[in-house]
Amino acid sequence: MQILSDSAKYDVSCSSSGAENNYKTGELGATQSSGICHSFTADGRCVSLLKVLLTNFCIYDCAYCINKVSNDIPRAAFAPRELADITMNFYKRNYIEGLFLSSGIIESEDHTMHLILRTLKILRHEYKFNGYIHVKLIPGSDAKLIEQVVSLASRVSSNIELPSDKSLKLLAPNKTKEKVLQPLKLARDISMEKNNKPIGMSTQLIVGATPENDMDILNLSAALYDKALLKRVYYSAYIPVNDDKNLPILSTSKPPLLREHRLYQADWLLRFYDFKADEILNEQNPNLDEELDPKMVWALNNMQYFPMEINKASFEELIRIPGIGVKSAYKIINARRFKKLRFDDLKYLKISIKKAKYFIVCNGKYQKEIPLYRENIKLDFLKPTKKNEPSLFDIDYSVITGQL
Amino acid sequence: MIVLYDSSFEGFLTLVYKVYYEKITPTKILQTYPNTLILEEITEIETDQIHAQKVLNALQKKFTKKNFESIFHTFMCDSKEFELDLLQFIILGFKDQKQLLNINHSCVFNIQNLLKELFRHNHKMTGFVRFVELEDTTLYAKVDSKFNVVYFLGKHFLKRFNNQTYIIHDIQRKIAFIKNDDFIGVQEVATFEEPKTSADEQKFSKLWRTFFESVAIESRKNLKLQKQLVPLLYRTYMTEFL
Repeated sequence: MQILSDSAKYDVSCSSSGAENNYKTGELGATQSSGICHSFTADGRCVSLLKVLLTNFCIYDCAYCINKVSNDIPRAAFAPRELADITMNFYKRNYIEGLFLSSGIIESEDHTMHLILRTLKILRHEYKFNGYIHVKLIPGSDAKLIEQVVSLASRVSSNIELPSDKSLKLLAPNKTKEKVLQPLKLARDISMEKNNKPIGMSTQLIVGATPENDMDILNLSAALYDKALLKRVYYSAYIPVNDDKNLPILSTSKPPLLREHRLYQADWLLRFYDFKADEILNEQNPNLDEELDPKMVWALNNMQYFPMEINKASFEELIRIPGIGVKSAYKIINARRFKKLRFDDLKYLKISIKKAKYFIVCNGKYQKEIPLYRENIKLDFLKPTKKNEPSLFDIDYSVITGQL
Repeated sequence: MIVLYDSSFEGFLTLVYKVYYEKITPTKILQTYPNTLILEEITEIETDQIHAQKVLNALQKKFTKKNFESIFHTFMCDSKEFELDLLQFIILGFKDQKQLLNINHSCVFNIQNLLKELFRHNHKMTGFVRFVELEDTTLYAKVDSKFNVVYFLGKHFLKRFNNQTYIIHDIQRKIAFIKNDDFIGVQEVATFEEPKTSADEQKFSKLWRTFFESVAIESRKNLKLQKQLVPLLYRTYMTEFL
């Protein structure tokens, strides 16, 4: 168990959300559309699924991977029934929301897929388990096997890992982009035929292992979302686990977490805020700003839209204001039905105006301190907040006696 | 005027009755006598089932289903001082149901936030409740929560453990949601003995702890974030933090 969950931990995906609510009387397990986090590990990531490898034996030799064949590490494997039993018992104790099953390639692609399929069949048919199951499809396995897995799983995925063919060739000689995308395309077509609705799929990209810039990564994600291929792209800051001449050496001991964070912010803009990839990044600025979040950068580059009157702006316009998200936008729309909103009203509705104040007009009023120019706003926003220096008058003293 | 009631739902409804028929105007509503010296007069409300029923009928008639439920749900937030806001909410609702959507009223805003907090808390609890298997394969969970969410939890697990019997036991409030072949619902629990767990229990809880420790990535370690996401108050009965 330790070996196999240890090897699976570098997979970022852990969401159980987006699956439809379903349950059957007299059976075990249900999925919930909101997803549920069951615990959080010491690194602050959510534990929702039992994330394990069926085995960490692997015939591939990908430079970035801990389980590559040339690594000398302890190897182990689950028997399908053993894994199904553990899943059921964990589920009954409410430790987990379901199973996240991935695997190294043992013997051949088809053999591995067979083992995965057997685990799924035991869970779904024998144990009547209706909970969430996420399967990593094995690139290059037989189409019939993929079809069966897709019909049993709640969500499937296949990790692209590296954003371009060139990098793949360098670091993962046994994989090509075509080969990685093949099972995803297949899975989409199969599920489209059946219920007109594609099965939820996701992928993962490693950030910082190869020289691609943020624009390449974001364009790739946008293209994948557009083709309805994927529901979600995960980004994983590169963590060195192997020594390889083709891999970069990190200057600091920490993985590039801030870059990962900015990429996620940009990804959210694509998916929930209706931004286009070329609005966020372009040839002149191919990388995301580390100091400012992507929406702030967009707003500063597009000052012609601002300041915006929050009592008039539409929902689509409101969510383009930096610092105002979907929830705040709904709050504004609800509240302004009954009265004209002023700055104080926003504070009262607990809407953060730290960023938004530079870009909005409330009932004709604009904050006066900072003129509406790009540079002024940027300077003011980034300046360190002053610490209150204690003065003589702040010291606590008794109101009645005046004693210190 | 400071008003005291016995913290039951009927007691609160009686209070509402008195506001309308005896024209009292509470400035503070308490459940127990305060320890500090208060110079103001304290009025104690005696729970009256008939008056309470009258108010309940009126609420049912006048309030929309959603607003009516909001009143019930607010009452589950028993560790907060919600009474004054709820009273205002009810008075406002009797005047005009539409105004209960206007979040510019402080009572509506506060009640909405309270309900959000309740369901956020409940949602977290659905993930953080831990069951153990007893000798007779009943699943048993101990709960220590800031709000009274046992009923909501029980409903949630009714979908997942449809073929199991289970008990969700709120130790502090001395109530439990019980689901077995003859009974589904919340019951009061006066006393209880520590039940015996099944033979496999040790094995799986140990396996879970092993899993939990090995999925954390050392170079991304961030205990502050972990504490933010699973605050200590949830950890009382969580297997991996015991």
